Order: sequence, then C-alpha cells, then structure tokens
Amino acid sequence: MGLGLRTLLVKEVRRFLRVPGQTLASPLVTTTLYFVVFGWSLGSRLADVEGVPYARFIAPGLVALGVVSNAYLNSASSLFVMKLQGTIIDILVAPLSHTEVLTGFVAAAVVRGLLVGGVTWLVAGAFTGIGIAHPLWALVMLVLAAVAFAALGVVTAIWAATFEQVNFFPTFVVTPLTFLGGVFYSVRMLPPGLQRLTMANPVFYLVDGVRYGFLGISDASPLWGLGILAVLAAGSLSLAYALLASGYRLRS
Amino acid sequence: MNGAVVEIEGLRKRYGAVLALDRVDLEVRQGEIFGLLGPNGAGKTTLISIVAGLSRATEGSARVLGKDVVRDYRFTRRAVGLVPQEINFDPFFSVEEALRFQAGYFGVKLTGDRLEEILSALDLTEKRHTNARALSGGMKRRLLIGKALVHDPQVLFLDEPTAGVDVELRQQLWRYVRRLRERGTTVVLTTHYLEEAEELADRVAVIERGRLVLLEDKGTLMARNAGQRLQDIYVALLQRERAGREAE
Repeated sequence: MGLGLRTLLVKEVRRFLRVPGQTLASPLVTTTLYFVVFGWSLGSRLADVEGVPYARFIAPGLVALGVVSNAYLNSASSLFVMKLQGTIIDILVAPLSHTEVLTGFVAAAVVRGLLVGGVTWLVAGAFTGIGIAHPLWALVMLVLAAVAFAALGVVTAIWAATFEQVNFFPTFVVTPLTFLGGVFYSVRMLPPGLQRLTMANPVFYLVDGVRYGFLGISDASPLWGLGILAVLAAGSLSLAYALLASGYRLRS
Repeated sequence: MNGAVVEIEGLRKRYGAVLALDRVDLEVRQGEIFGLLGPNGAGKTTLISIVAGLSRATEGSARVLGKDVVRDYRFTRRAVGLVPQEINFDPFFSVEEALRFQAGYFGVKLTGDRLEEILSALDLTEKRHTNARALSGGMKRRLLIGKALVHDPQVLFLDEPTAGVDVELRQQLWRYVRRLRERGTTVVLTTHYLEEAEELADRVAVIERGRLVLLEDKGTLMARNAGQRLQDIYVALLQRERAGREAE
C-alpha cells in the first residue's frame, strides 16, 4: 500500500474516531435498547424462532444493520462534507489514482462498519451468548456488505447537493429494506404472499446470510446471500469508480 | 533564458454556452514570478485549475516540466502546489496534522525539520497543535500555503492569495513569495490587485473574457509605458480590448 493511500485511510479513520460519541457510542446505545426491550422485557413472552431464543435470533440482523448503515454514513458524510467545505481540493490536486481515492474512503468506512458490528455483537453477547457458528462466513458477509454500502456512500456523496439527499438513501431505502428483510422475524413465519415479497428484497439475503454465519440457521441458501452481496459490492464499486473517473460534480 | 516549467497550448474551456478560456497559449519559465492578471471571471482560476488537475480542458493541452497534466498526472501533480482562492479547512484536525496528511497524499513523509521550516516560515509554529477551526482568517490562508508547499513543488500557483487580507499579512506573503523564488520555486500569481503584480512579477499576462490579451516582461512593459503605473497600463489595455470588440 502506497503512502498516499495509507494517509487517506489513516486520516479517514482518525476522523470518525474524533467523534466517538456520534460514530461508535450512538449505535451502541441503540443496540442496547433493542436487547433491553426484546431480550429482557419481551424476550420471555416471545417464542423461540427456528429453535433459537428470540433475542439471539435478531442479533445478526442488528449487526448487519449496524455494519451497512455505518459504512454508508462514513463514506457519504465524509466525502460530502469535504465537497461542501472545499477540502476535497486536497485530494483532487494530489497524485492519487481514482482507485486509491475509492479504496481509502471505502476501507475506512469498512473499518467503522465492522467496529460498530463488533460492538453490537458484544452487546448482544451479554444478553444471549457470544458464540459464532461460522465466524469466517460471518466475517466475509459483513465485509462484503460494508464494501457495497461504503461504495454506495461514495456514489451518493458525489451526486448529492444537500444533506437531505445524503440522508435519503439510508432513511428511505436501507432501513425499510433491512427491517422488512427478516431482521425481526423468520420468513417462514409469514403468509405465502409476504414470503414471496420478502424474498424479492435483496437485503433479506444479506440478513439471512449473516444469520447463517452467526447462528448456523437460514431461511434461504446462504450462498444466495454471498452471491447477491458480491454482485452488489462489484456493482457499487464500479459505479463509484466510474463517477470518480468521470470527475462528475468533483472536477469541473 | 530559463526553460519552460508550464506550457499551455491552444487551451479552451467551455462551461455550457460560456467560453471560459479561448485558445490560450503561454509559457511560464523556470524560477520566475509570473503574474496572471484579469478582471473577475476572466478565466484565471480556470486556467490554473486545469494545470493543477481540478478542471479538464475542452481542447488544447497543458504540460508541466514537459509532461501532460492529464496523461502524466502523477508526475505533474507532484511538481505543482496550489493555494486555492477560497479558504478551506478541516475542522477535525490540527495545523500539524493537516500538513502531515497533505504531505502523505503526495507520497511524502514530512520530516521534523521540514515541518519546522514550513511552520516557522508561515509563522504558525505556536499554532501547530491548534485545531484549524480556531485559526484566524490570515492563519488559515497561511496554512493553505503550507499545505501547498509540503511536497516541495517546483511550481506554486497562488490564486488571489491576498484577497481580503490586511496590509500587514499581504506584505508578509509578498516577502515569502520572494523567498520562494530565491530558492528556485517558480510562482504563478493570479491577482486583480495590480500593485501586487507590479511589486512581485517578473512577467505579466492579462486574460480578458478567456483570451490572452497581453504577455510581456514587466520591466519591458513598464519601460515602454514610462511614467505609468501597471494599473494605468492595464486599464488602458482592457478599454482598448472592449472598444475593439464593440467595433467588431
């Protein structure tokens, strides 16, 4: 790794570590609240899902949600703020290739996503036990998910002209698709019509594949999740690269 | 005669219906202070943005040390430092961090000596650990100059460096620009303060509505118009240009 890329990566990681309350503690509080509500308060009244206590069943989906939303927010907000403040010039005048710029932003976002995912799993572990059925599978799925959403963050930051546009994607696309993608229920609990609808949601395969990695159970073949995430990651990286290379809304 | 550091040939830049640069040809020579003058919106910033890689030409070419700024961008960007017109700063980092990161982007590990030299030259030593957000306007501008110098560029572009700064800081910047030239750095200075160009520049170019209307050694120009200040020569030139355009 060249010094230019290493510097961009270090700077981006330090940037989010400078505001740990916003970037790491905030998702920690949210996750803890989920487990307090679903683990302690309601957990004893909710039936096991696929033979797994309910609080443990929802944990992998919450980890996935934490990873993708934080990976997206990191690259999107950092690059967008640089555009807004004019500090993007620092990168644009430097002898960094488009691949190095993209790698720097995506890799830092992956680090933040995985940190939040790790913290989420530790919180979940305190309520439901920390064992992971297939750790390597879980890690590969989460890294692929983080890469895909970090690259989408880069795309949004380049395209967006306002903060509202930056927030549109997580608020109106990612969160609804994640909540309706089987984070809180097994698709087998749904009537046939809703089952078909859920299985048309790509985020379902992400949540399902991550759940297979953590708990060893899944509604669909976990290979579907891996394949869909790989395609999504390749597609979003290609789109982000093409935008950087074109200079769209970055170089006049 | 010194060799060319920057070569601009047939440069055109169009933004939709607006022609920001219209077939500009010029050379900037090794070790000179080159004053690029013109009214607001004339195309000065567009020209240096193309050389620095912030903008792409519609036609023509720009070369730095003989290398094309698009094809050989890694080489040319290492040779160029740019101080942008608009002040910007990253509120997450200190002065020292900002300088170290900028050096790193250029593949340069900033040594302690070099860091001290830049901080001292720009009178920022005492502010090295201060967050950029807490600096005064003048200090922020000096930090921008420091960031443009961390990789020791052979040619430094200063885009309106004294716009909106007080007299004391302006004279401090002028002294620093002269010191850079003495060390062999080529300086391209865009300004619409004519006294700045008269004070500093070895050669001057005037751009008006995207066209190069004058390129001459400052001493020769002043001798040819004995008794006049650069400001008078400039105003007369622009009036002739505008009258010529109206006659067409």
